Amino acid sequence: MSEESAEKISGKSTVGLVIFGPILGMFYVCLLPLIALMTLLVALPELASAKKTDITQNSGMCMGCHSSQEFTKTFRNKEKMSVFVNEKDFKGSVHRFLSCTDCHGKISPDTHPGNSAMYEDRAAFTAAMASACRKCHSDAQLKAKPNHAFMANKTNGPPCTGCHGAHEVKRIAEWKPALSSNNQYCLTCHSQNISKKHKNGETLSLHIDPSRLSASVHNKHDCSDCHSEYTRTSHPVKQFASSRTHSIAVSEACKKCHADKYKAVHESIHFKMISEGNLKAPVCTDCHGFHSVGPKETYETLSGVPCRKCHEDIFKIYSKSVHGMAKAKGTHNAPLCYSCHFAHEVKVTAMTEKIKGACLGCHKDAEEAHAKWLPNAALHLSAIACAACHSPGSGKGIYLRLYDQETGKPFTEEQMLKLMGGTYEGMARKMDPHGDGIESDELWSLVSRLNEKGSNAKVTFFGRMDVSNGSEAHQLSFKKNAVKECENCHSQESDFFKSVTVAVVKADGRLTRYKAKPEVLGSMFSLLSLRQFYVLGSTRLKVLDWIGILMVFGGMSVPIAHITLRAITSPIREAKRLNKMRKEGKR
Amino acid sequence: MKKIYLHPLPVRIWHWVNAISFIVLIVTGLQIRYREILGLMKFREAVDIHNIFGFILIFNFFIWLVFYIVTGKIKIYIPPLNLKKFVMGSLKQARYYGYGILMGEPNPHHSTPDNKFNPMQQMAYLAIMLLLIPLQLLSGLLLWDAKRFSDFISLAGGIKIVDTVHVFLFLFFMSFLFVHIYLATLGHTATAHIKAMFTGYEELEEEHGH
Repeated sequence: MSEESAEKISGKSTVGLVIFGPILGMFYVCLLPLIALMTLLVALPELASAKKTDITQNSGMCMGCHSSQEFTKTFRNKEKMSVFVNEKDFKGSVHRFLSCTDCHGKISPDTHPGNSAMYEDRAAFTAAMASACRKCHSDAQLKAKPNHAFMANKTNGPPCTGCHGAHEVKRIAEWKPALSSNNQYCLTCHSQNISKKHKNGETLSLHIDPSRLSASVHNKHDCSDCHSEYTRTSHPVKQFASSRTHSIAVSEACKKCHADKYKAVHESIHFKMISEGNLKAPVCTDCHGFHSVGPKETYETLSGVPCRKCHEDIFKIYSKSVHGMAKAKGTHNAPLCYSCHFAHEVKVTAMTEKIKGACLGCHKDAEEAHAKWLPNAALHLSAIACAACHSPGSGKGIYLRLYDQETGKPFTEEQMLKLMGGTYEGMARKMDPHGDGIESDELWSLVSRLNEKGSNAKVTFFGRMDVSNGSEAHQLSFKKNAVKECENCHSQESDFFKSVTVAVVKADGRLTRYKAKPEVLGSMFSLLSLRQFYVLGSTRLKVLDWIGILMVFGGMSVPIAHITLRAITSPIREAKRLNKMRKEGKR
Repeated sequence: MKKIYLHPLPVRIWHWVNAISFIVLIVTGLQIRYREILGLMKFREAVDIHNIFGFILIFNFFIWLVFYIVTGKIKIYIPPLNLKKFVMGSLKQARYYGYGILMGEPNPHHSTPDNKFNPMQQMAYLAIMLLLIPLQLLSGLLLWDAKRFSDFISLAGGIKIVDTVHVFLFLFFMSFLFVHIYLATLGHTATAHIKAMFTGYEELEEEHGH
């Protein structure tokens, strides 16, 4: 029956199969992707949980305690650390599929440290824990990012967790947009204690204190406003020869906003020194700081004057001066370095009119006050530096500077070289061939040589009295201590005329000093070379003294000789007179 | 005794103002220049006095100039234009000072109001009054305020040049003073010329009346 029925059935169903089989087959094939997709959708969470275990399942034992905030760990240095692990953070982290022991490998129920303190302090613990990262993240992976590369083999660098976090570690792409500002982005790493080495081995700290940054006047700026090459997407790795070259390079950024100040600095003696290779000269950041850049008033204090970094010796002298003492007492308008030298356009002030202008800037009545007691006050003020009289105890001397009378400007060393040829070094030999101080005839031959070959210049020396060195110009004292007696200068015995210096000025204002013999002031040659310099009594011509003696003796000798002759010949006249009287008597 | 009115009052006043100024300027000038040798007064005082008398001398010079030009008496300073006459007169005068005076010969020159100076005096005083004194006054003025006159000083070649001229002339005047005073004693008596410079009247020797 079964066979029969089977046949019947098969007879019937064969026809059905022939007809419906292919149709059903086609239908099934068409459904397959859909079924596969549905199966996948249903099975996927199962698959995932099978491969990667959730912490609560996998590390349930750990979290039994570590999800509580009440436990702490004490390090050997008695530093305490909470051992709480925020489950929520971890679930959101990129490592959420790892088990605790993947990183904290040494810990098992048997080896749990409990209260035993294995680490000296929290930093040592963090460093040890962070070394676990390197089990998966190879050197090659780290070096692929240039700003990571120098961290790879660093022993004292911050731990990975410093920037990336520990249990809450996320894909960079995930936390980047979460940061509220660009600065926060940068500070993620740069608030860490990171540093790099310059080529010369100096260390540059890359650590930035966010509190100082927010206290600075630039706190509204993005990091990339100054560090323009660094953005969220670009982080070039640069290396500088030294920390000075680095400072100089980064100061360029200030120009973007402070163009006027930057220009003034560019023309200053400090910048000139940098361009000549003297990297000690200051740039913006040396005075203003960098990330903590403050308002200019920051430097209105005695201790904070940035100039002291290099000019401490002069600052000491200044502190004892009338100005320094007034400043220390808190006198508001007492001058500081910048009052006379200016902050940005710092120029050489020695033997210039500029410094007198600075004095008169505050002492507005000085010219008038001098005129009340000093004859030819204007002349005195133009030929004598303020400090020469107002710095008691300072050495003083006469400075002879070359001037072009055609232009009224100093005749510079550069101009001299152009006319005389040779090098700066050779100049000293040309000026002072014997090396024992420039002599009168040498001074004259210099002037005549410059005028002979003169490029339309009418070169002459101007004389001026000044203190013997720049430091002494800072020991200014009270008015009552200033030089008042004319005799201090107007005498050939005055010490001030015993030191004579030929000061050749460079185009940038710096001076090259050549010692000259004091005799040059009173020599015959000075009539030719020092025509524009004369001080009553002190620079008189020696020759003229001798001529004077000769003339006076000559004048006196006329009556003496004549009286002598008359005395000798008086008998003749007496005889003649008697003779005449006799004749008249006869008559 | 015959007298001749040789020096009118303005000339006498001018002369003595000049004389006092010269003395004061010479003394203060020496004090300014040789402070370490001379200690008569402070430098400052010397300069102040020097300046005051310098201006007195300038003013006085113009009294002289105006008086002599207005009265036309300036001609007594002008040597004879005839060169031969001038040379002969000068030689005669030189011979007198070098020989005649010693031999008791009379002075070949007889001063009159219109012909006060002998040819040598004419030559010397013309140079002094119209060249050296103005030069001295001018250089002194420039040095008095070197700042104000800096352009003129530069024009003259520099302050050292101006000062050297001033000092050189000062030395010249100082030595000339010895000769001038001595010659003033060579009247017919030692004080005749000097008295005349006070009274205006020069006494003449009796024999001149013949």
